[in-house]
Amino acid sequence: MNKAMGVNNKIAWVHLTSKIRQLIVAVLSVTFGISMYIFMNSFTSGVNDAQAELVFNTMAHIRVYNDLPKEARQLLPVPTGSDTVQFISNPKRIQYTEGIKNAEPIRELLESSPDVVAVTEQLNENVFFHNGVSKVSGSLSGVDIDNENQLFHTAQYMTEGDWYELQRRSDGVILGTGLADKISAQMGDIISLSTSDGILKTYKVVGLIETGSASVDKSRAIISIQAARQLLSKNQSYATDVLANVRHYNDARTTAQRIGASVAYKTEAWQEGNSQLESANVLRDILAITVSLTILIVAGFGIYNIMNMTVNEKMREIAILKAMGFDGKDIVQIFLIQSIAIGFMGGLVGLLLGFIISAGVDRIPFKIASLTTLPIAYIPTDYVMALVFGLLTTFVAGYLPARKASKIDPVEILRG
Amino acid sequence: MQPALSVDNIIKYFHDPETIQVLKGISFDVQPGEFLALIGKSGSGKSTLLYLLSTMDTNYEGTIQINGTRLTGLKQNELARFRNEHIGFVFQFHYLLPEFSVLDNVMLPALKLGKQPPEQIRAKALELLYLLDIKGHEDKKASRISGGQQQRVAIARALINDPAIIMGDEPTGNLDSKNTKVVFDIFRELARERGQTIIAVTHDDEFAANCDRVIEMVDGKIVGE
Repeated sequence: MNKAMGVNNKIAWVHLTSKIRQLIVAVLSVTFGISMYIFMNSFTSGVNDAQAELVFNTMAHIRVYNDLPKEARQLLPVPTGSDTVQFISNPKRIQYTEGIKNAEPIRELLESSPDVVAVTEQLNENVFFHNGVSKVSGSLSGVDIDNENQLFHTAQYMTEGDWYELQRRSDGVILGTGLADKISAQMGDIISLSTSDGILKTYKVVGLIETGSASVDKSRAIISIQAARQLLSKNQSYATDVLANVRHYNDARTTAQRIGASVAYKTEAWQEGNSQLESANVLRDILAITVSLTILIVAGFGIYNIMNMTVNEKMREIAILKAMGFDGKDIVQIFLIQSIAIGFMGGLVGLLLGFIISAGVDRIPFKIASLTTLPIAYIPTDYVMALVFGLLTTFVAGYLPARKASKIDPVEILRG
Repeated sequence: MQPALSVDNIIKYFHDPETIQVLKGISFDVQPGEFLALIGKSGSGKSTLLYLLSTMDTNYEGTIQINGTRLTGLKQNELARFRNEHIGFVFQFHYLLPEFSVLDNVMLPALKLGKQPPEQIRAKALELLYLLDIKGHEDKKASRISGGQQQRVAIARALINDPAIIMGDEPTGNLDSKNTKVVFDIFRELARERGQTIIAVTHDDEFAANCDRVIEMVDGKIVGE
């Protein structure tokens, strides 16, 4: 068996190397297919990640907040007998509590979950911003400076000022660039805020921030959560939202479900409010896989064609090999070895080329939103899958002609 | 003595384009060391018979034995192994593998058999090539030597596994008279000095006349020896 394998290898090798040009074309078709597979998938993952980064610089993977109850509270017991009909006209859903009074245990619960990587608390409130005569409504976020930065990398979106200034002064405020524009406030200006309860307080603009999401930048101001609690006269561990990020954003839903079971408040994964983002990601993935597999299949047809031609050209030689005592299995082996060798050579070069193309595209400038170059993700699985699919395609494409070769009747050919 | 080849009541039909009986009960034995010529007009069934003996065509009635092994009814893979070890072929055209060197062509059946280490096979192949007077061409591509040389290489290839029988299908049919004589003399010598059993289908009366034994076929039957 082993020795027979050796002879078959030798014959396959001679066949392969006797037509170098044909070999190169076959190898290149695999190379092209595999490198495109890698590039398409790297690019799509890159785009998905970039998209996620844009979205997740203002939105957490999981949000815990006090939601309006789903149904109005049952004021009267439901009548048991069938002879009673109960009418309650115009029942209302009423929120009996506001925000999360004690956010501490929820934060601790989230922090203890193994796939949660960062947790922060926020106190969000709608307020009016005043600067001179301009008066604009917007939202005020009281945030935990360190944790907020860990979740959203807020500090890196600062266009002016220092993020940590908020920690140092309780009367500091950071304005979204659009908001600052609307009330024509600049660094160092004193602006005042008024809450819905009519409390007015002045703050000093210590920074400007641009997250890339225009609607957020036009309406949001940030102060420290302690300052916000003070402003709204809330207790020390009050928060309106507890936010958490998980290791990979696609896993947010399962984690949210698990944690939600033991939390009295609404626990929501990002997908619930943003199905358009999720569907866009999935659709892009499907598109990338479809296109790249199509390219691989086309490469497969190329190999099939070349191997078929080779078999047709070598009919007589196959007949002679059979006359000399090579059986059908040997013939299949001889031709399959050739196509697998083509697949392997093309595959390895394709991996390299795919990486080079990806790295090249990664350097093409693309300055929109927070992007500087076209996004590319380097994922080892893509490379492994490319090689697996490539070898699979060449195997199938090579097997069909090889089987045809093994079925050749030597008598018919040798008798002429 | 056990016959090298034993054929018993072989019957064969061709079904395309219409059913005709090509072989009508052929029986004969060939003794080891015999140099036998199968002659007959075209259509007499002699080539068909040879391909049945070669084990490549298995569609027949009757039995064929080589060296006491009954070949009728064996599976294709078993027959391939048997051919490899016990039968050497020489065709009208040399049918060498053009992309391989002369030496590789001779070595291939033995490498396939795998009973000897490659160095030994190589030494034996070289010895055969020298015996058949093809010296200095071992490393050339098989397509780069002359027709007479190619046919001698084909004979060397047929001999490499020390087969029980060499079968020739018009082995000199495509050669000029000088090369025909060379090839015939090789066969003659192999039979006489090595005791090699040879069966050759031929058109060439002179070739046949110098064989040990001649079987003439007409219309699928043996008419004379």
